[in-house]
Amino acid sequence: MNDPRVGGDDVVLESRGVTKRYGATAALENVTFRVRRGAVNVLIGENGAGKSTLMRLLAGVEQPTSGEIWKDGRQLQMRSPRDAAAASIAIVHQDLAVLENLNLAENIFAGRELLQSVLFVDRHAEETRGAAALRELRKPLDMRCAAGDLSLGNRQVVEVARSLVCGAQVLILDEPTSALSAAESASLFRVIEDLKQRGVAIVYISHRLNELLHLGDFFTVLRDGCVVGEGIRGSVDRRWIVERMSGRDTDGEIIDGSSAAFANNRSLLEVSGLRSGLAGQSAKEGLNLQVRAGEIVGIYGLLGAGRTEFLEAIAGLRRIDSGEVRLGGKRISVRSVGDALAAGIALVPEDRQRDGLVPELSISGNISLSSVGSFARCGWVRRSAEAARVQEVAGQMQITAHDLELPVTTLSGGNQQKVVLARCLMRNPRVLLLDEPTRGVDVGAKAEIYRTLRALASGGLTIVFATSEIEEARVLADRILVLTQGSFVAEFLRSEATDAALFAAACPTLEAAG
Amino acid sequence: MSVPNQSRFAATVLLLLKLRAVLVLAILLVAFSILSPSFLTVNNLSILAKHVAISAILAVGMTFVILAGGIDLSVGSVAGLAGMVAGGLLTVGIGGHTTGAVAAIAIALLVSAAVGLLNGLLVSQLAVAPFIATLGTLYIARGAALLLSQGKTFPNLAETATRGSTGFSILGQSFVLGVPLPVWLMVAIAAVAVVVAKRTPFGRHVYAVGGNERAARLAGIRVERVKLLTYCFCSLCAGLVGLIIASQLESAHPATGETFELNAIAAVVLGGTSLMGGRGSIGGSIIGAFVIGVLADGLVMIGVSEFWQIVIKGGVIVIAVTVDQMQTRLQSRMAAAPSHTGGLREAV
Repeated sequence: MNDPRVGGDDVVLESRGVTKRYGATAALENVTFRVRRGAVNVLIGENGAGKSTLMRLLAGVEQPTSGEIWKDGRQLQMRSPRDAAAASIAIVHQDLAVLENLNLAENIFAGRELLQSVLFVDRHAEETRGAAALRELRKPLDMRCAAGDLSLGNRQVVEVARSLVCGAQVLILDEPTSALSAAESASLFRVIEDLKQRGVAIVYISHRLNELLHLGDFFTVLRDGCVVGEGIRGSVDRRWIVERMSGRDTDGEIIDGSSAAFANNRSLLEVSGLRSGLAGQSAKEGLNLQVRAGEIVGIYGLLGAGRTEFLEAIAGLRRIDSGEVRLGGKRISVRSVGDALAAGIALVPEDRQRDGLVPELSISGNISLSSVGSFARCGWVRRSAEAARVQEVAGQMQITAHDLELPVTTLSGGNQQKVVLARCLMRNPRVLLLDEPTRGVDVGAKAEIYRTLRALASGGLTIVFATSEIEEARVLADRILVLTQGSFVAEFLRSEATDAALFAAACPTLEAAG
Repeated sequence: MSVPNQSRFAATVLLLLKLRAVLVLAILLVAFSILSPSFLTVNNLSILAKHVAISAILAVGMTFVILAGGIDLSVGSVAGLAGMVAGGLLTVGIGGHTTGAVAAIAIALLVSAAVGLLNGLLVSQLAVAPFIATLGTLYIARGAALLLSQGKTFPNLAETATRGSTGFSILGQSFVLGVPLPVWLMVAIAAVAVVVAKRTPFGRHVYAVGGNERAARLAGIRVERVKLLTYCFCSLCAGLVGLIIASQLESAHPATGETFELNAIAAVVLGGTSLMGGRGSIGGSIIGAFVIGVLADGLVMIGVSEFWQIVIKGGVIVIAVTVDQMQTRLQSRMAAAPSHTGGLREAV
């Protein structure tokens, strides 16, 4: 069991029987997680398995409902990220928390400025030490450059530098490569190797198996908030991880449910030469897409590939610079969300909390939000007609709620997502666009959402969804398009798609990166 | 290729937008000097400086609040309240020639800081939207000012030496090296504020909180404390302004400072500080205050009707906010474009 190279059981940080609840839902249940010094401690799990929650507890961002966190044989009481920093625990968040309006030196030392004569910030020392830290990370960047102007990869390096200058003993990396190009990832791996040699304990979260197997020394698998497997390098392989990660085989039945009934349908949605603002950065010709009625098309791509921008352009949220959108052969102009909805195109946005739900409204209020007008007569909303239709759609979507008049925030993530879906369906759209259809949704609800979408497609609805999860693309889509740096670079039929082929296509080529 | 030309043009436009306050100030000074022969006289400039000092001190305090992502609507009321507190104390009499004046000023400033503390607590601890919280304290402070005298004025504050009131007039009316004391106060406050904003950890934390509150919190910055301090400082500045005015008039009116908050916000925005927080400077706000002061003064000098002055001031505020939006949009568009080439440069 002991591997001398990685220091065996030299545990530096440990969560003991930690449970975290949000309202009624338990995000973590009695989780014991050990972090070893001078090693890469890998934490694996699907979306919603509780990885990020556990990291937020270890980084002091949130506090456990019950259970203890120990470091170097002492119990820690962390109330804020400050306390975690004081305990030499640093975290690089998945969505990179850089201060875009400040320069690199200011970012690296934010919250722990270097001082001269007690009162003043010692900018010179900050720039020197910050530059030294970045040189160690093999990324010599200009300290006076604004952090907002950096590429995602470089922002990440700046965040790692932050933790270096404060002498972190534990460095948590939450999905560090989800936004990086292949070249950037490779240089991050070198940095991780360096840090390991120096005795820093790395906690590495990802669901990219190749990366994990390449980097990891210790492996912990989370599923539905529980630890379901632990192993060390050498004893762990791809199958071991996948078996524990996925657990019950909920995906199989959906794959069976796939049909090719749409094959004879005419193409309903046609997008040609579409260019739109930021998404068109590198796409010279613009994007083309044809989808048949009843077909489910998945757009797979890494963060920043332009998935969201593409869907938003079709849904009228983003100005279309050139190109056209045809629906059922007729050219339509989508200059606003209203235009798109009127034409029969509805979008389920990626960020449910920010763009999807009105937290102050009830479940039924959220469902009927975009179709209130259809229940109105002479400006008055007929409540009974509204309630009946909401009931019907909620039933169709299998929203499990005691009372549709409760605030929408009382629902779990999966049910909230169904509420957003239900709202779109109430307009009887012809094309449904979904951006990350199951983000932050637990495994069970995920399968239900897949099943519902599949059933809707059989009923003739055309579905286009964007995802960053290979698994999701393969399970849900009839056809998968890979979007890389604003262009469709590959297309796979469901039967042809493999993880490796999809991932390879999605990674920006080295020439493009530099 | 047209691309570099285009981006150079955009950069020039951006620079002009950033320097807009200086440009506008220069244009106003030239225009008023030509239109009114008595504009560029020592006497008028001295009056102008006193006016500007008042709005500049308010703007400095407001800048910190706005940089940290907040807004403070209560400054005008706080100015009124501070004047009334001091006026009441001087009328009642709480000390001798100078001690009375010093005590009155100190207590009035304490009361102002207390209002700022209330604003800060509402915003940072109870998470009330800054606009709403300070709208509430705007009414509370104004009501308190009216209650102190049942709506009446405290007159003749400079009459009786025994109650300390002759000392009180020094604050607003004395000159040092030929320059009015309020102008010196403005210079001192502005200098300290510039150093605090640019050179101290607190200043940097203000920018961080306004730029990205979540990231600031994750970086270990005490976001609540930073916000609290900005509101306290802003109210202190407002209180000082109220005292200066009461001292200049030798009387305290409960209505003093009405709509001052709008002047202060306008000065800050004119000076290039983003209402969204995180971007801007103290120096800019001072120039913004000069623009507003010169505009008000100059319009009187060239005989524009009082009612048109109000319309023009409103127009300036609207234009300032519109330009602020244009600048933000232009900046984000420019940031989007060169980020690609930036990546190439780094890789090579």
